[in-house]
Amino acid sequence: MPYLEIRDLTVSYDKNQPTLERFSLNVEQGELLSLLGPSGCGKTTTLRSVAGFIRPDAGQIVINDHDYTRLPPNQRDIGLVFQSYALFPHLTVFYNVAFGLRMRRIPKKEVKERVTNALKMVGLEAFANRRPAQLSGGQQQRVALARATVIEPQVLLLDEPLSNLDARLRVDMRQEIRRLQQQLGITTLYVTHDQVEAMSISDRVVVMNQGEIEQIGTPEDIFAAPETVFVADFMGFDNHFNAAVESVQDSKLTVTWGGAPIELRWHSKFGSPPSGARAEIFFRADSASLLAGTEASGLAGEVILHTFHGNEVQYLVETDLGEFSIMQDSDSERFAPGAAVTVQAHTQKWIAILEETAARRVTGEKNDRAQAKY
Amino acid sequence: MVSRWMYVSLVILYSFLLGPFIIIFMASFGANANLAFPPQGFTLDWFANVFETSQFIDSFWISLHLALLSTVVSLVMGMPVAYALTRFQFAGSGMVETVFSAPILVPGLVIGFAMLNFFVLLGDMHVMTGLFIGHTAILFPYSVRVISASLRNLAPYVEDAAVSLGANRLRGFLLVVLPNMQAGIAAAFVLGFITSFNNVPVSLFLSGPGVTTLPVSMLSYLEYYFDPTIAALSTLLVIFTVVLVQTAERVLGLSQFV
Amino acid sequence: MIRRPNQTRTIILLVSPAFIFVIVFFILPLIFLLSQSVLPEDGDFTLRGYLDFFQSRVSWIVYLRTLKLGLIVTGICVLMSYPAAFVLARMPSRRRSFLMSLVILPLMTNAVARTFAWLIILGRRGMINQTLLSLDLIENPVRFIFTETAIVLGLTQLFLPLMVLPLVSAMENIPDDVLEAARSLGANRLTTFLRIVVPLSSDGLVLGATLVFTGSVTAFVTPAILGGPRLLLMSTLLRQEAVILFDHHAAAVVAVVMILTTLAVNLLLRVLRVQQS
Repeated sequence: MPYLEIRDLTVSYDKNQPTLERFSLNVEQGELLSLLGPSGCGKTTTLRSVAGFIRPDAGQIVINDHDYTRLPPNQRDIGLVFQSYALFPHLTVFYNVAFGLRMRRIPKKEVKERVTNALKMVGLEAFANRRPAQLSGGQQQRVALARATVIEPQVLLLDEPLSNLDARLRVDMRQEIRRLQQQLGITTLYVTHDQVEAMSISDRVVVMNQGEIEQIGTPEDIFAAPETVFVADFMGFDNHFNAAVESVQDSKLTVTWGGAPIELRWHSKFGSPPSGARAEIFFRADSASLLAGTEASGLAGEVILHTFHGNEVQYLVETDLGEFSIMQDSDSERFAPGAAVTVQAHTQKWIAILEETAARRVTGEKNDRAQAKY
Repeated sequence: MVSRWMYVSLVILYSFLLGPFIIIFMASFGANANLAFPPQGFTLDWFANVFETSQFIDSFWISLHLALLSTVVSLVMGMPVAYALTRFQFAGSGMVETVFSAPILVPGLVIGFAMLNFFVLLGDMHVMTGLFIGHTAILFPYSVRVISASLRNLAPYVEDAAVSLGANRLRGFLLVVLPNMQAGIAAAFVLGFITSFNNVPVSLFLSGPGVTTLPVSMLSYLEYYFDPTIAALSTLLVIFTVVLVQTAERVLGLSQFV
Repeated sequence: MIRRPNQTRTIILLVSPAFIFVIVFFILPLIFLLSQSVLPEDGDFTLRGYLDFFQSRVSWIVYLRTLKLGLIVTGICVLMSYPAAFVLARMPSRRRSFLMSLVILPLMTNAVARTFAWLIILGRRGMINQTLLSLDLIENPVRFIFTETAIVLGLTQLFLPLMVLPLVSAMENIPDDVLEAARSLGANRLTTFLRIVVPLSSDGLVLGATLVFTGSVTAFVTPAILGGPRLLLMSTLLRQEAVILFDHHAAAVVAVVMILTTLAVNLLLRVLRVQQS
């Protein structure tokens, strides 16, 4: 039984180009679900629809079996954390956090108790009398978090909450948000464009693109086994090439790499393509290695460029299948530009996506559907 | 990058801007009635004359009431307009903006003349009512623009935050937006007050027998008398303005809105 | 921008009180004025008023004089403000805000008071005449008041702040780096000023020039005091037609010509701005 249900949500700012069209998503109770995608993919629109700031053209928002769709945002009981924090500049930290409780006409004594508790949870009890302008970015973010959670909302929504913080603080705040969320057991929707952030904080991740869900899964699934070209790209699979499928059997898909066949993971839910079908093969820079000279066990190539990254060296290698970027331990053998090398595949981390799926995703499903409509 | 001759230009600029005020100041204490320069002797008679001239005293009170009333009304009516312009995107917002900036595009004298004719057409309108309407209309551009600027400084998300915490739109506005706009409202008030208080061209046609604003009565005094009384009055007004503007600048940073 | 339910109703509720006020008490009078200029009190629609205006030598002289003085005042304001605005824009901000408040000060004082000073400076026994007399440069006082020079001086002092303010705010946005880059590439100070600062502040220049010009051609107090009843500008002509000759038809024509002139200048500003961006 999902706690938060988004059913067939349709939102359009521009009548001809809906931002979201029949978008559906379920969030389980106590779960932290991330919406991950580039700007303009519809993740913030989804979030603001749940918060009630956008009235959808069609569809429903259901929380704990109650239809929220027609409810104005101030009656929704939803905690919202903004990218810009949106603290009230004229109120002290205490009164910022107390605001929601006072709107709910909670007795003064209880307000004081709950605000104090909430501030303690985010480690700001000493700052109760400061104004937002007197706080650092991280502290402001904590206040925003305390303000949104102190009302014990049904659902907590976070809209790119860390994007205004510097890199180190972001890691700290990430852990803090996760800890708080688990402590309170609060059902949470988290919007971000940063894949590392989504991976580290979420129970499940939803990768979105152009208003559609590309893939839903645990961070591990999404990271290791993207199912679409878009997700593979977004998850940092730097290298890809096109290949003909030789055979598919026993959860293995075989293609040719240099002179020899290589076997890649394959899930039967993606069907069993005939031999000769085209597939796009993806791998990360660290799941291949270089050997000196030309060997039959891999793909021959030539080093074009190398860049030193401390622990690792990155090579750009030109092969018959295209240019690949490959990371090697800096302790291993070094190759100068022009050196002939063999690229060896570490296929346990490689993925294959059938071209027919890929084409549908890449050239814009939107266009196809738009044409079909007329 | 700044060279010496540029500083010279600064000195010229300021002596041109402020020199006349120094001369008025000196003349208002001079004993000679014909305004010969340099002033001879020292007297406060001209200041006494200001307070003994009933047309100045009467018109001062009229100007003060008029400025307060029209500023407050233009703010109260202009604020919702500024709110709509900064918080919503709507068809016709460009037209609304144009309509509300029109009163600064039309010459003041023309506005006064057009209103006079129109009010005569409408029938017997009280002179004070006419002045109030004229001044309120010409203040809209200032109040809408300054309030809009201060609304833009406050992210709309802050209001959304209040709403997500359970406040309705009106309470969100009263509890969160308004307190953060104090400086903008005060700046708009000072600007509007001074604009109305100093206005001549609109008031010129709309003034009537016995109901005249201070600047207009200064102008008509000049038609008959040429003595330092006006200098004394001007000195008083400059002091009044300096105090008002400097206070506003210190407290609010007025120059960012002008 | 925020999308909210029931937007249209909310917007109408917010905008309409003030909107109706401005339409009824500002736009309608202007439309009535326009109709007055083509409908004499006793007759049908006619453009005679406009023909009379442009065929009369006197009104042509007044109109051209108004434009001419407006241009001169604008030119003087530009020359006086440009280098000074640059100095102001490069100042440490505390000193600058003090000096800027001094620029605003005259703007906040009424025009009668500000113009009165020129009577003291330019009068028969005024500062300039007394100085010239005591230096034996002249034998009898020169008449400065009721001359075009007096009007130009008065208007320049009145409208200088309107040129300085937009120029300073345009120049504040020019980063120091850009100027240093120009210098490092071999431009001297003057070239940097002319080739970098002037083009980058042209927005402020255009805005300032429009404000000063439209202000000058519509100002009433200064020409009334320093021009007198003979040396008329459009504004004093309007006043004369309406109040002394009591010819509302002719006065309406003058008023419409004034509106059209300022609108044309503002339109020109828009075009210039569009071209720049």
